[in-house]
Amino acid sequence: MSERIHARAVQRIEEALLNALVSTQSRNDEIEIPSFPVAVMMVASTTDTFMKRRYALAEAKRIYNLLKKENDKNKILRIANAFNWKTKLVNDKPPYEFALSLIDYLRNSTRLQAIEWKLVNRVVDNGEVYLTKDDTARLLEEEVRSHIEKKLDWKEKFELPQNVAARIERLKQAFSKQKAKIQSEELPKEVVISAFPPCIKQMYNETGAGHHLSHIGRFALTSFLINTGMTTENVINLYRSLSDFKESLTRYQVEHIAGGRGSGTRYTPPRCSTLRTHGVCTNMDDICKSIHHPLKYYRRKLRTMKTKTPIERTQK
Amino acid sequence: MTKTKTFVRNTFSEYYQKQSFSIQPPTQIEKREFGFLTLKEKVMIRHKSFKNAGGLTTFIQTLVPSDIYYSSAYYEKPEEKMEEKSWLGADLIFDIDADHIPTSCTKIHDTWVCTNCGTAGKGVLPEKCPACGEQRFDEKTWPCEVCLESAKVETIKLKDMLTRDFGFSPTEMRVSFSGHRGYHLHIENKEVQTLDSMARKEIVDYILGLGLETSFHGLRKEKGNRKSHVLVGPTLNDTGWSGRIARGTYEFLHTATPEELEKIGLKKKVVETLTQHKETLEEKWKEKGPWGVVKNVGVENWRKIAQCGVLMQSAKIDTVVTTDIHRLIRLANTLHGKTGLKKMEVPITEIEQFDPLKSAIAVKEGTVTVLVSDAPEFRLGDQTYGPYKNKQVELPTATALLLLCKGRAEVKEE
Repeated sequence: MSERIHARAVQRIEEALLNALVSTQSRNDEIEIPSFPVAVMMVASTTDTFMKRRYALAEAKRIYNLLKKENDKNKILRIANAFNWKTKLVNDKPPYEFALSLIDYLRNSTRLQAIEWKLVNRVVDNGEVYLTKDDTARLLEEEVRSHIEKKLDWKEKFELPQNVAARIERLKQAFSKQKAKIQSEELPKEVVISAFPPCIKQMYNETGAGHHLSHIGRFALTSFLINTGMTTENVINLYRSLSDFKESLTRYQVEHIAGGRGSGTRYTPPRCSTLRTHGVCTNMDDICKSIHHPLKYYRRKLRTMKTKTPIERTQK
Repeated sequence: MTKTKTFVRNTFSEYYQKQSFSIQPPTQIEKREFGFLTLKEKVMIRHKSFKNAGGLTTFIQTLVPSDIYYSSAYYEKPEEKMEEKSWLGADLIFDIDADHIPTSCTKIHDTWVCTNCGTAGKGVLPEKCPACGEQRFDEKTWPCEVCLESAKVETIKLKDMLTRDFGFSPTEMRVSFSGHRGYHLHIENKEVQTLDSMARKEIVDYILGLGLETSFHGLRKEKGNRKSHVLVGPTLNDTGWSGRIARGTYEFLHTATPEELEKIGLKKKVVETLTQHKETLEEKWKEKGPWGVVKNVGVENWRKIAQCGVLMQSAKIDTVVTTDIHRLIRLANTLHGKTGLKKMEVPITEIEQFDPLKSAIAVKEGTVTVLVSDAPEFRLGDQTYGPYKNKQVELPTATALLLLCKGRAEVKEE
């Protein structure tokens, strides 16, 4: 019995790592149910955040697929309530079937990129957001994902039986190949200015010409340049042409963004939607329409440039 | 110190000493960070914290700062460096400033000088200096009645969205005149405190109507009878943005001139149709709206028109203030260093009648003789003053203080 639970737990993790989706097995609750906490414990024992995130996502996707097919609205409601959602059923506003509190909606929707999830594109009334059944299922997927991620975020060390630990180790190794494929390719060592997205390119040129940027613009530009591999020295030099340039202050800020000070975290630029909110986004082009983050733009542009001849590249 | 600076300091000091000044400490004062801008050197003193209102009052009375701020955020250790404060949550705050609103006065009372080449001008700050292309200016602004009124209109729109759409109760919202050119709105509520910056950004986009697609609010082609398509759209009484789009579209079409309609990218023929059938279209709002009523005006044209309606209905809030979960914001009942007026809470039901240029006067006694370099005609309290140009005048203290703080006058040196 315990061997079968154990095997299913390993399978859950394997499925998550390889297919990004945990399968739904034929009902055998005695195995299916306990295999979940066992799998969680196994994943939690690794220190691999990438693996943890992927496992949480794959389990959440499984839940979404189940909820999508669920015809009993009350069952969905009970699950939502189990996560302390303030939600209720609605009957008089087709196609909507649920009303969810604004706060719960925001907590679970901001990671979703499609414009239909923007609050401004929703029916919002008296603190409630109206949702279809499928919307509700999708938001519950987010809730489940963060719920599992929290479970996996185990700070204290603990030891598993040796045979279990060995199996995890094997999984990790099998996964490392997959991971390399999933994780984006390495960026080139030198900074390729012609691959900058339009917003960054404009700010880069303007700063070089001595023009001032808004606070958020400066943060976006600096963090972008740092993440593409520009040295802090070169970033500081870029700001030198500004009339009120103060080396010590600029150095402090640039080094802070690069993670050299304070908390030690290296900041990444804000995503596109944030830049839009603050009016930094300009001259969107075709690539912009298919990405959500300036660094993603940079990677994609580099890829398309690689496929062209060097002459075409320099001409650009 | 010049006589002017001494006078301003003494007046501020007297205000903070007097019993009439009652400090309004923020809730959970011990978890807030405080910041003070010094009067003389204009230096920001940050990372201060106080156990109670008494400690804060004493500090203010000793330092006599030009501006006093507290954090919208709650921290475990507010006096530590940013990284070590331990953020616990933050109130949801909105800032509406006339600077961000296009007004009918065209800001003609504001002047700017390019710090690079010295080119000067009046009105709205240009994006770049027309002479040298630099983007750095010395600005002299003025809180005119038109500016203040338009900021108030935006505040009322904001309040309306927060109440009707977001369901906040008037008891959770506090509206204040900032003491300069705008209004602040604070929401203190346990659930809101934990919202992260991304969630607040979604709220900002909602208030501004940013990223709104009219198709999600019912403006689309639907399959009609037989093979034809019919154009449908939101109606005036719909909830949320749908109703706002309808009301904004009505307002826009009611007021727009043919030139304005062309300006938004409508073809001449479309504009002609809209002008010709204006009355019929307006009649249709009583039913399902004007969408699809006239030929020639297709869904794409209606989208353009509706987006203008969105712009009219959105409230022009400052995007940075609301998304910043560590923001420092002016403390209520304290003086604004640029005007000498106080940040003044407005009962939410009385905002329409509120007169900031009367209610926010902090100093009510005395007169002083000042040399005014340049000031437009303006009102303070019930009295109208100016315009002045290089003129020596004896003025009530509050009036003189406004001109002195604005850098438009000096106290006469003997």
